[in-house]
Amino acid sequence: MLENFSFRTIVEYLPLFAQGLVTTVWLSAISFVGALVVGIVLCAMNLQRGWLFRAPAKAYIDAVRATPLLAQLYFLYFGLPRLGFVLPELVVGILALSLNSGAYIAEIIRAGILSIPRGQVEASVASGMTYTQRMRLVVLPQAFKVTIPPLLGQAIVLVKDSALLSLISVAELTRAGQLLASDRFMPAEGFLTIAAFYLLLYYGLKALAVLSGRWLGTAGARA
Amino acid sequence: MTSNPKGPNDYDQSGMTQPGLTKTGMIDFRGVNKWFGALNVLRDITLSVEPREVVVVCGPSGSGKSTLIRCINGLETIKDGHLIVDGQRVGDPATNMTQLRTEIGFVFQSFNLYPHKTALENVTLAPIHVRKIPRAEAEQAGRVLLAKVGLADKVNAYPAQLSGGQQQRVAIARCLGMRPKIMLFDEPTSALDPEMISEVLDVMVAVAEEGMTMMVVTHEMGFARKVAQRVVFMDAGAIVESGTPDEFFSHPKTDRSRAFLSKILRH
Repeated sequence: MLENFSFRTIVEYLPLFAQGLVTTVWLSAISFVGALVVGIVLCAMNLQRGWLFRAPAKAYIDAVRATPLLAQLYFLYFGLPRLGFVLPELVVGILALSLNSGAYIAEIIRAGILSIPRGQVEASVASGMTYTQRMRLVVLPQAFKVTIPPLLGQAIVLVKDSALLSLISVAELTRAGQLLASDRFMPAEGFLTIAAFYLLLYYGLKALAVLSGRWLGTAGARA
Repeated sequence: MTSNPKGPNDYDQSGMTQPGLTKTGMIDFRGVNKWFGALNVLRDITLSVEPREVVVVCGPSGSGKSTLIRCINGLETIKDGHLIVDGQRVGDPATNMTQLRTEIGFVFQSFNLYPHKTALENVTLAPIHVRKIPRAEAEQAGRVLLAKVGLADKVNAYPAQLSGGQQQRVAIARCLGMRPKIMLFDEPTSALDPEMISEVLDVMVAVAEEGMTMMVVTHEMGFARKVAQRVVFMDAGAIVESGTPDEFFSHPKTDRSRAFLSKILRH
């Protein structure tokens, strides 16, 4: 069965895969930072008392979570130019991933903040802290710790989702596999190789999650 | 107990028209009512606590004791009546509650220490950020306070590394760090193992003996006898009886207080 499997072609295409891997890593990193910004803003809006900020944030989060990422990507890629916004593929891709992941991150952060026991808020209120002070000094530092592991989980999802950008011809990892598959008609070699690279990225992020867990565990708190 | 503080109902009647403008106690409830939905949790509460007075509030669970003291620093809001604390009206839009709260220490049943901060940081956090005391000075004062509550060796310990009694003593030091005029205690020993209760009560006695104005929700009758000038007994949201600890424990006046005392003093 393996006599048809050409390791030689994979080696031949390695520079292309390496390039794709690097692109996937940095565009995922930028998208994740963008998603954090989107998520923090959405979460802040969602935690307001008045509906003026809360309603749009909720609507946005629902809309993003209810529709496929591919549909969102196609809307931005094919739809936006029709509305007069012409952006490079890479920018569209990063935008799509940031806007999509941001909705999930908003909910992760919100869950983290709401997980802080009420007594913590009461203690800081009773000591005369303002809203900003108690968020900055008491709630957020604690929420941060509970939020890190699910955020890294979301980062893993984002890396995998970035494969969709191959459909708008961004030269990332999956695109490299597609090229091998179509140039030489070697789909097994192409897609198995990218799978191996994604696995590599996954283990990298997972190691980070374990390390951060250990670091947070030793930094006092509910040890 | 030679002092005979005013009963709950003999405050200066002229104060009724313009509360806050006449001389009042440190904490002054005047006809305060509060509802949770249809439940009248505070019924027409009138109670005045003088400066340096220690008042113990007791009563069956659900009688409104905690709600009563939580109103004083605005953790609960009142529906009607007046509540004047340190000369300021609680719930009045003109009152800066954040400012008023810096004058009121609140000790919780569940301690509520900040788990991500050491004992010393717990004590200095509000003085540094709210009172704007320079860090070095706040830390100096914090060490003195922790030593005072017997925890000089636990300055750098995190709450999770401390026993319940130690945590509650840190919580008391945390309040004292703000140099408050009033200290409120909401069942401070109810969550503690029996052998840790006395170490917390000892600290509370020391605070009382320094002349702090205190309201303490507790069933620790030994504490009440030792330092309280007055015991207030609540039932179903109302103050049923109020008197010196001797009067209250030896000669309870109402059936409800007798029934309550027979239950808590039996063991």
